[in-house]
Amino acid sequence: MVLFALLLVAPAFGNQYHAFVANLILLYIILSMGLNLLIGYAGQLALSNAAMYGIGAYATGLMMVHFGWPYWAAAAFGVLFAMVSGTLLALPALRLSGIYLALATLAFAQTTFWVMTHWTQVTFGAGGFVPPPLDFSPLPLTQSEGIYYLSWIAAVLLYLVAKRTMESPIGRAFVAIRDGEVAAQALGIDLLRYKALAFAMSGFYAGVAGALYSGLLGFVGPESFDLLQMVLHKGAVVLGGMGSVVGSVLGGVLLTVLVELTKEMKFSIEIAFGGLLIVFVLFQPQGIVMLFKKWLPGWVERLHYLPRDMQQQPAESEPKIGPGSSVPGSGPGPHTKPTAVEGDD
Amino acid sequence: MEYFSYLVATGISTGALYALVALGIVVIYKATKVVNFAHGEMFMLGGFFAYTFHVMLEWPYIPSFLLAVALAFALGLAVDRIAFRPLMQRQNMVSMLLCMIGLSFVLKGLARWLWGGKGDYLTFPPLVSPTPLNFGGIMVMSQQLVVLGGACLVMLVFALFFKFTRAGRFMQATADNPKAAKLVGLRTDLVYMYTFGVGAAVAAAAAVLMAPLTLLYPDIGFMLFIKAFAAAVLGGLTSILGAVVGGFLIGLIEQMSAGYIHTSMQEVAAFIVIMVVLVFIPTGLFGQRGSRKV
Repeated sequence: MVLFALLLVAPAFGNQYHAFVANLILLYIILSMGLNLLIGYAGQLALSNAAMYGIGAYATGLMMVHFGWPYWAAAAFGVLFAMVSGTLLALPALRLSGIYLALATLAFAQTTFWVMTHWTQVTFGAGGFVPPPLDFSPLPLTQSEGIYYLSWIAAVLLYLVAKRTMESPIGRAFVAIRDGEVAAQALGIDLLRYKALAFAMSGFYAGVAGALYSGLLGFVGPESFDLLQMVLHKGAVVLGGMGSVVGSVLGGVLLTVLVELTKEMKFSIEIAFGGLLIVFVLFQPQGIVMLFKKWLPGWVERLHYLPRDMQQQPAESEPKIGPGSSVPGSGPGPHTKPTAVEGDD
Repeated sequence: MEYFSYLVATGISTGALYALVALGIVVIYKATKVVNFAHGEMFMLGGFFAYTFHVMLEWPYIPSFLLAVALAFALGLAVDRIAFRPLMQRQNMVSMLLCMIGLSFVLKGLARWLWGGKGDYLTFPPLVSPTPLNFGGIMVMSQQLVVLGGACLVMLVFALFFKFTRAGRFMQATADNPKAAKLVGLRTDLVYMYTFGVGAAVAAAAAVLMAPLTLLYPDIGFMLFIKAFAAAVLGGLTSILGAVVGGFLIGLIEQMSAGYIHTSMQEVAAFIVIMVVLVFIPTGLFGQRGSRKV
């Protein structure tokens, strides 16, 4: 995509602050893609994404501080740790749905936040801590440049993974679960397996973002992973368009830019993003991707999101997903196990 | 022993407030099958309204109490109009929850903007003298008694409202069977709207009672919401009695874990209760055992 190419060369222009913002954009792209897999595709409204992000950042930073691990090992551990927590969280998710799931994951997120704040011996409490500086010594890169290119590579890879997975039987199984669990089960979709997979993938994405974040900022503190953060992630997904990977990329970009703008204008970030969430949910529930689809000829992405009141509206690609029309392949598709491929990014 | 009874007294009086807020959540859930995520913000704004009238404008207590409750009622109607009604037809739980989360953040942001920034804790003068009373060796703050009495009174009014007024019966009918209620000519959409209003009003009443004991700050809404939700879930989310019992239980659990394990446990006890209850006894103590809808 053009956008990624632009982001690759972005740090060459602009000052340090611009480079930092560009890097944040990359992180938010990763985060909102991960969350979109869970909410937009699999339809599991989990409020724990910010906590996973935090777990990734904390696990990475703490491994470096307490055990002196090098960054790549600590980051791999952080990602793995976030992914495992995400998967464990899926166990209750199988029994819960809708509001119950939202609240249980919210409780989980708040407990995580509490542990970050109160387990002072390990997490350094509310003040946060500073992980040691990174060293990209074989390459001629400073820390911020190194993290930037690392984020870029991760974002592109994860974008490809998300896109391919969602076009594979896995993605269709997710959508089938979202549109009707019982119907999906009747079609032979293993709910436990696919829900766990959705949670694991989103945990993985959040973990990657978290690991990069601890390297980017050089500081990890609990307030970076609070409820507001959760709303920002939701905002990015809804803004871009639920059930669209490209939408998440756009959402991540827009969101970061808006956050920085509101910071500059000292406008209340809570009102701005709460309001944005309401406006989009009410008036443009398919996000800006739908606008693109309408106004840009030749924009083809199969959108997996069709609210019932919008169904009669002719979309360019036929609405292929109804509760009954998606039969996931029973055997492993060509791109079934994406997460194992690049675990050490 | 004295320590224990102190904890029990505190637990019961805070538990009464959780019970009140949980009542609102349960009533709304029963009628609409939606948990009002902005419910905590109703509580918070109710408290701030009362603060504005009672402290800033120096009106007497009772009128400011009533006015705050009335304003919260109006706010509840607004929640229905903004988040619930437009999204009801769409039958999409995820968007509705997202919308309510958005709304709760907007309200929180507004409160921060109107009544002062982060870390600005407003004090609310107590109704009665702050000296503790002594009942046979048990020390009780007199404000706690006021809170407990007030909460019981509100609960009583609430129960009477449901039993004996037309509006209350409409709400019960709609909660029982929305289609049938519609068939016999009830304007169910209006009933939903007033249900949101009533829930918000009860939350505001709880807030005004609580304000002298704690302090008022914009983030209080969310804390209360989580605790009240824990109470509601413990009670089964569909049972009014369950909400009350759950409220008292959460209050006690919180105080006990704070008193005997670690003070910081007080903040997290409710979350743990939510997770444990949802995973092991999803129907709660008094909930209906529902069959899964297809």
